[in-house]
Amino acid sequence: MSLSTMLSTMAAGMLRTCGIFILTLAGSLPLGMIVALLRKSHFPVVRLLTRAYISVIRGTPLMLQLLVWYFGPYYLFGLSIRGWRFPALIIGFVLNYAAYFAEIYRGGIESIPVGQYEACEVLGYSKSQTFMRIILPQVIKRIMPSVTNEVITLVKDTSLAFTLAYQEVFSLAKQISASQTSFTPFVIAGVFYFLANYVVAFVMERIEKALDYYR
Amino acid sequence: MIIEMKNIQKQFGGLEVLRDISFGVDNGEVVSIIGPSGSGKSTLLRCATFLETIDGGEILYMGEKAAHTDESGKAVYVHHKDLRRFRSYCGLVFQQFNLFPHYSVLKNLTDAPIEVQHRSREEAEESAMELLRKMGIADKAKAYPYQLSGGQQQRVAIARALAMKPQILFFDEPTSALDPELTGEVLKVIRQLADEKMTMVVVTHEMPFAKAVSNRVIFMDGGVIVEQGDPRDVFDDPKEERTKQFLRVFER
Ligand SMILES: Nc1ncnc2c1ncn2[C@@H]1O[C@H](COP(=O)(O)OP(=O)(O)OP(=O)(O)O)[C@@H](O)[C@H]1O
Ligand SMILES: [Mg+2]
Repeated sequence: MSLSTMLSTMAAGMLRTCGIFILTLAGSLPLGMIVALLRKSHFPVVRLLTRAYISVIRGTPLMLQLLVWYFGPYYLFGLSIRGWRFPALIIGFVLNYAAYFAEIYRGGIESIPVGQYEACEVLGYSKSQTFMRIILPQVIKRIMPSVTNEVITLVKDTSLAFTLAYQEVFSLAKQISASQTSFTPFVIAGVFYFLANYVVAFVMERIEKALDYYR
Repeated sequence: MIIEMKNIQKQFGGLEVLRDISFGVDNGEVVSIIGPSGSGKSTLLRCATFLETIDGGEILYMGEKAAHTDESGKAVYVHHKDLRRFRSYCGLVFQQFNLFPHYSVLKNLTDAPIEVQHRSREEAEESAMELLRKMGIADKAKAYPYQLSGGQQQRVAIARALAMKPQILFFDEPTSALDPELTGEVLKVIRQLADEKMTMVVVTHEMPFAKAVSNRVIFMDGGVIVEQGDPRDVFDDPKEERTKQFLRVFER
């Protein structure tokens, strides 16, 4: 296999890696907020269930969760899992990251001084106005460093997709390396991951800068 | 009467913080509330502004009941839709300002008028600038709260409360979080509002200010009103022993 074939095959894998990355963020960032709010629900059952969800997700390996999502439908319900690989992968990633983001959001929400809520109440803001206009923007600013950490971890975690034999860059690197008895694919994969994280760090820094206009 | 509070009772987990407090404020009146720490002054303001719910008694704004005690002895409030109207009658200035840090000074003043009262942006901004001029901080309209001194922040907070055009403005120790050299500028704008006959209730430890500005002084201790009246009478010739004791601490 020529180096250019290797490169283009792996670039295609990197695109799939980016797919996992983007879909996971698109799903887990908003879902995490919903989970964070459910965790503070007025209904004890809802609170209990969300807490159980968060602790199961955080207490088990992501790799195992991916296997459960993929094979679960077959072993539990005897369903065919053809075509289920990618959906299972995304469900597994989204639900996993949502739990971590939920905890970050919760910490951020709890760090906002109660005086902010009281000022809103006296000024007549509704609950949703208070949250969307006053609390959430401040929460976002405060949690940016933790979110950045989590996003960078996600870039690397996408490699766990190899568990389900999904052809993203890490799976491909392993396969090509084995078939060509070459070390080069690992170097290429390393460079790809590093570049991806470089871009992520750059974007996150931009966002943090944009929020720097107040303290 | 702008506000009337009758036989107000409030407990925090068995601790009686307000015991049977009754008082009213007339249109244009300035009332100072003084008293030792823990006497329930903040709690009283928080009940008046609906941040806390009373356990017993009655709250009326402009003669209309916002809360009363039913036959079973429980305090009941009007439906929350009506409560929003009652909330709009009163403003509260906090000791810690509680400005919105992510909004400019101008937006701090215009956001609620636009979003809550559905006033037009032009009108809200115009009246906000008018208020900022009055507070002497018109040049800070585009600044963010962190760029202001404590005294300036508190003046923004006063302007923010006034921007809602309340019938009555409550102040909870508006200068206690400020360095001594900054209290003057805040007291000055409150005094100016008093001259304009803004109805106000001010919890304060600034005795000379209370004496000079208010029409009436209320001395609270242990969740009751111990003594109230004309500031000259209360300060210079207090009737109650507890008032005398309290005021002696402030004398030098
Ligand atoms: N949310 C609360 N939960 C429990 N206790 C409270 C709460 N708020 C106030 N208290 C108690 O009620 C009492 C009166 O408090 P309040 O803040 O009204 O006093 P204050 O007169 O404003 O005092 P200060 O001059 O120190 O501000 C205090 O003993 C206080 O500890
Ligand atoms: Mg107080």
